[in-house]
Amino acid sequence: QEEAQAIDQELFTEYKFSVDQLMELAGLSCATAIAKAYPPGSFTTSRPTVLVVCGPGNNGGDGLVCARHLKMFGYEPTVYYPKRPSKPLFEGLTTQCQKMDIPFLPEFPAEAALIDELYGLVVDAIFGFSFTGAVREPFGSILSTLERITVPIASIDIPSGWDVEKGKADGLQPDMLISLTAPKKAAMHFAGRYHFLGGRFVPPALQKKYALNLPPYPETDCVLQLS
Amino acid sequence: PVSSRQAFPLPSLPRKQPTVLVVCGPAQNGAIGLVCARHLRIFDYEPTIFYPKRSPDPLYRDFTTQCEKMDIPFLSYLPTEVQLINDAYNAVVDAVLGAEAEAGEGREPCAAILATLKLLRIPIVSLDVPSGWDAEAGGSGGISPDVLVSLAAPKECARRFLGRQHFVAGRFLPYDVQKKFELNPPEYPGTECVVAL
Repeated sequence: QEEAQAIDQELFTEYKFSVDQLMELAGLSCATAIAKAYPPGSFTTSRPTVLVVCGPGNNGGDGLVCARHLKMFGYEPTVYYPKRPSKPLFEGLTTQCQKMDIPFLPEFPAEAALIDELYGLVVDAIFGFSFTGAVREPFGSILSTLERITVPIASIDIPSGWDVEKGKADGLQPDMLISLTAPKKAAMHFAGRYHFLGGRFVPPALQKKYALNLPPYPETDCVLQLS
Repeated sequence: PVSSRQAFPLPSLPRKQPTVLVVCGPAQNGAIGLVCARHLRIFDYEPTIFYPKRSPDPLYRDFTTQCEKMDIPFLSYLPTEVQLINDAYNAVVDAVLGAEAEAGEGREPCAAILATLKLLRIPIVSLDVPSGWDAEAGGSGGISPDVLVSLAAPKECARRFLGRQHFVAGRFLPYDVQKKFELNPPEYPGTECVVAL
């Protein structure tokens, strides 16, 4: 967790990347990975509907970008975004989604069965690698519901609610994990079908400095399937 | 950047090192060139940048820092000896002037740069508008790029493009904008952000 935070710090302070830049590339990776693993034609629901659940921080921002690109790729995303930071970055991302006719739910579906019926996939963009401590409402109840759905879950960077290093045996069990920049320790506990790497923006010098040993991305793809 | 790669896949480059010269003008087109250079570096090319007139815009200054920190060299001058460029690089990315340029082409250093680019024998990839072309009428006697990457949508002058490949990179445009301007974009394959026209 510390290394991931150190890399982020260098990207922002030394390399002068803006959060906007990296968030856009991260969200695009997530949408691309999802499109590769769950093409629209493969959905069990009649339309390729996706529920994107966005948390209160940057992971939520990644989710908003992901939702927008999923729309471009032909999916029908719906967003649930209960706790919105009043910062221009997040307000802008929200506006971009709304202007693209992506609906924002006023409340979270009450039952797991309802989610299973309405959506073919759920994107977990609730908590990322900076998460520590207890889960605050409404996210506790949301995670309990998500633990009971049967449609696949794609988690962005860290399955929400997991300890960033140790995982969580009785927590969310996503079908897909999109590790951003580099896989976190928690990824060792990931037992789903698809593990992708995204966030193809780490300069070669930084990769070396932190000994990331990332396998090469194929050609100009912004994602790499690890499993 | 993706379209540059598609036009010139790494294994096909004639020189041993995958060198590319990215020539960046003073405004937005140049800034796009800086972003392109950074992604080319991530894609394992060896870009070099020539950016004689740097924008004071903080966003564009950050793009410059990102490139510098990624060890992308910045030339201090563009050789007028065209053969030197032909020998050192596989291709040149023309990010000098975009659709917004009016008198820009007449002013230094753009005029001298364009004069040099016109004489190159290695392929040129132009971003949005071949620099020096009028965005609507097109260019006669201007540079002749091999590849054109139209940003958002092709400009009027693209009708006069005679090079090998024309890509459109406009997948980020929201539908209501596309409809409002009657853009009728082509279908983008899969998750690609560019499509060859």
